[in-house]
Amino acid sequence: MPALPLTPLLAPRDFDRLARLRLQVARRFTNRGRGEHLATKGGASTEFCDYRDYTPGDDVRFVDWNIFARIERPYLKQFHHEEERHVALLVDTSRSMEFEGKLELARRLAAALGVIALRGHEKVSACALGAAAGAVRLKPARGRLGEPGLFRFLENLTAGGATPIERGIEDFLRQHRGRGTAIVLSDFLTTGDLRRAFNLLHSAGLEIFALQILGPTEIAPELTDDHRLVDAETLDPLDVSSSADLLALYHEYRARHEAQLATLCRQRAGRFLTASAAEPFERLVFDRLRRSGWIV
Amino acid sequence: MSFTSLSSAWLFALLIPLVVFYFLKLRRPRLEVPSLVLWRQVLSDQRVNSPFQRFKRHLLLLLQLLLLALLALAAMQPFLRRGADRADRRVILIDTSASMAALDRAGGRSRLDEAREKARALVDALLPGQELSLVAFSRHARRLTAFTDNPRDLRRALDELTVDDLPSDLEEALRTAQALARSAPFDRVVLLSDGNFPAQTNFELPFAIDYQRVAGAGPNLGITALEARRALGGRWNVFAQVDASTPDAAGGTLELWTEGAVIARETIAPGRSGGQRLSFTITDSGADTHHLVLRPTGFDALASDNEAWLRLPAARPLQVHVAPRLASFRHALAPLPEVDLFPGEEAALPARFDLVISDAAADLDLPALVRCGLGIIPEDVRPLVTVAPGSAAVIDWRRDSPLLQHVSLADVLFLDDIALAPGADDARLANLGYEILAHSARGPLMLTREEPAGLRVNLLVPTDRSTLPFRVGFPIFAANLVEAARQRAGLAGATAIQTGVLPARVVEPGQRCTITDPRGGTRAETADATGQLSGVPAPHAGEYVFTPAGAAPFRVGASLLAPEETALASIDTIHFNDRLTVSAATAEVRTDRPLWWPLTAAGLALLLVEWWWFQRRRTLA
Repeated sequence: MPALPLTPLLAPRDFDRLARLRLQVARRFTNRGRGEHLATKGGASTEFCDYRDYTPGDDVRFVDWNIFARIERPYLKQFHHEEERHVALLVDTSRSMEFEGKLELARRLAAALGVIALRGHEKVSACALGAAAGAVRLKPARGRLGEPGLFRFLENLTAGGATPIERGIEDFLRQHRGRGTAIVLSDFLTTGDLRRAFNLLHSAGLEIFALQILGPTEIAPELTDDHRLVDAETLDPLDVSSSADLLALYHEYRARHEAQLATLCRQRAGRFLTASAAEPFERLVFDRLRRSGWIV
Repeated sequence: MSFTSLSSAWLFALLIPLVVFYFLKLRRPRLEVPSLVLWRQVLSDQRVNSPFQRFKRHLLLLLQLLLLALLALAAMQPFLRRGADRADRRVILIDTSASMAALDRAGGRSRLDEAREKARALVDALLPGQELSLVAFSRHARRLTAFTDNPRDLRRALDELTVDDLPSDLEEALRTAQALARSAPFDRVVLLSDGNFPAQTNFELPFAIDYQRVAGAGPNLGITALEARRALGGRWNVFAQVDASTPDAAGGTLELWTEGAVIARETIAPGRSGGQRLSFTITDSGADTHHLVLRPTGFDALASDNEAWLRLPAARPLQVHVAPRLASFRHALAPLPEVDLFPGEEAALPARFDLVISDAAADLDLPALVRCGLGIIPEDVRPLVTVAPGSAAVIDWRRDSPLLQHVSLADVLFLDDIALAPGADDARLANLGYEILAHSARGPLMLTREEPAGLRVNLLVPTDRSTLPFRVGFPIFAANLVEAARQRAGLAGATAIQTGVLPARVVEPGQRCTITDPRGGTRAETADATGQLSGVPAPHAGEYVFTPAGAAPFRVGASLLAPEETALASIDTIHFNDRLTVSAATAEVRTDRPLWWPLTAAGLALLLVEWWWFQRRRTLA
């Protein structure tokens, strides 16, 4: 009798592959808790770092007695200090994410990145941004034991909120503690000020990993006649008469929006990537994210 | 630009309900999108809000307005004024002579095709209230349609046009057009021709004429003459003339066929002169019909002049009646070969003579092809001349007449003086149909006239009272009479029959005969009381098969043999009687051009563009 899968978000075969991957961070935003990330200060890990002169009060257990025997001067061995990172998975659950499987892809990506972080001995928390009932959070968890909770949290996420993502990020930061990485999964289609939200994330010690998920019709809209477009979140109407010039301008503005998002992330030592909701999950995780340097 | 149906302009009022209905019906389908963020930025772009782009937003309305405007314009039936005057009735004369069948290149189109195309363009440009009448002409003109505005009838008449293997007669065509004016007045004629007719036309134009000359044709080689002369020893000398339209025309081979076999063959190589004369000597094998075929080695523009038929008569002696008293004539004619003199030792006289020479008026009533009266003044000439004793000498004679060829009448004296009666002159003789062959100082000596029974030659004074029998020219004159009779009897030679009307054939009186033309058409004719089957039209070159009822069929060949048709010549200017000249136009006939169908076609094209524009997928890579 085959074992039941842990979650419908990930295939069983994905776990082994994800376990071998690690998030590649550019900055060392770590916490004091022990983890797998080497801290800039010395520590008590098994990995040798340097020698220094012995000063009274130092722990004599770290004196290198072999050197002392040869030159009769005490030197103290120093080791790297390994600290943990706090990986926050921020999933946009506003109503715009319910189109064309954007939220579904966001949940699966969050699950995959969460597994990578948990199996990399990171502290992982999750938050649903833009939810109707405000920010819904998953308390930080560690290790493989935290995986079921993460999966249940992600599986229960539904779209339907109308809160802009920048407000969702502010709500998240009010309750968040710890430095590390903030992985934001959203379509970033907002009229608000994302610059402020990203500044808040950066100043909170979170390295920004922004992944924009767009539907196929958002990437290449198909309009063959006059239409009245209705915003799914605000229900605002907008009359559009299709023309080749208009579509060309749309593509121009979409490319400009992506470039602005990428610039915002890059200026804060973060990463940015755009994905289509129709893109196969395996190719996105095990190919594009690796090629883009998100994971190694 | 003018409009034929200006009242249809009310259709433009439909533009108002069109605009109203467009905006009333403009219920855009709702399309829910994740976010309007990008769309709002796009629509707020200055480029989108430029006047041109705003205009493009209602492109559908614009196209519909344009389509309706085009249809309304088409309904108003606009036309473009291209001429100073607008003719309501016009006659189109289309040349269908043999040269109109000439092709411009191998497998190309003929001049008639081009003329037909031009005529069809005129038919297509027909405006309401305008009528056309089509007249085709070659040697004869025939009306194809009365004045009509029905394009279907006109096009059908044009499609049925065929070329006649005949030369063209422009005067005949113009007279036919003039006759049309009696039933329906018009003031303009369009002449579509290759210009292969005489430049001088004896016609006074009562209407304006647009001479539209069709384009030239390729090189042509053709038979332009075919005749035969009897030679001694029961042989015939056949002469053929082959002409080329251009000096660089390709050569060919000329074959003479008799009873299904080639009996002579010559190679044609037209030189700079453009023509070549050839002769064949054939023996009289008893066959009466010979077929001459020209086979060009290169492209030949005209095919109808590549064949000719020649019918050679059977040989027989000439039947000559000379009054017994005219010993000088009998003596002069006796040594001539193949001449039977009557009355002779044989008691029986033939029913019909070829030549009668006599000084007795009764003898001149004998049936004969040529009759020569000596000292006999015809009844109608007697009031115009007087004869008195005296002497008269010949002061002038027609040296170019076949009867006086090589005959010198100088120093010939007549012992009777003949003079014109007071008040008479040569013109009155000419009015009676006489041609004066020899003059004395005071009056005519020798007259000739073509009569229904044959040629009549009158020497008004008797020869036995003259020095003529003692001159060298006397036996020559007698021989010329015999030659003239032989020519008329068809014994001296033969000429190929030309297209047009076949010569009369003799069958049983009242016999019905079916005639099949070279193109397979048949017609029935009935011989008259004398058995003459005459007036059979032969518009096409080829063999006509006569099938008399209850008798064996026989064939008669008709050949084009028209040098001007073979030459494919064309004139630029036609000169009319009243010093009016009409030049060939190189441009098309300037007629008012209807614009309704281009507008309708533009509307249809616009409809297709509109359909394509709004049905295509608006995706950019």
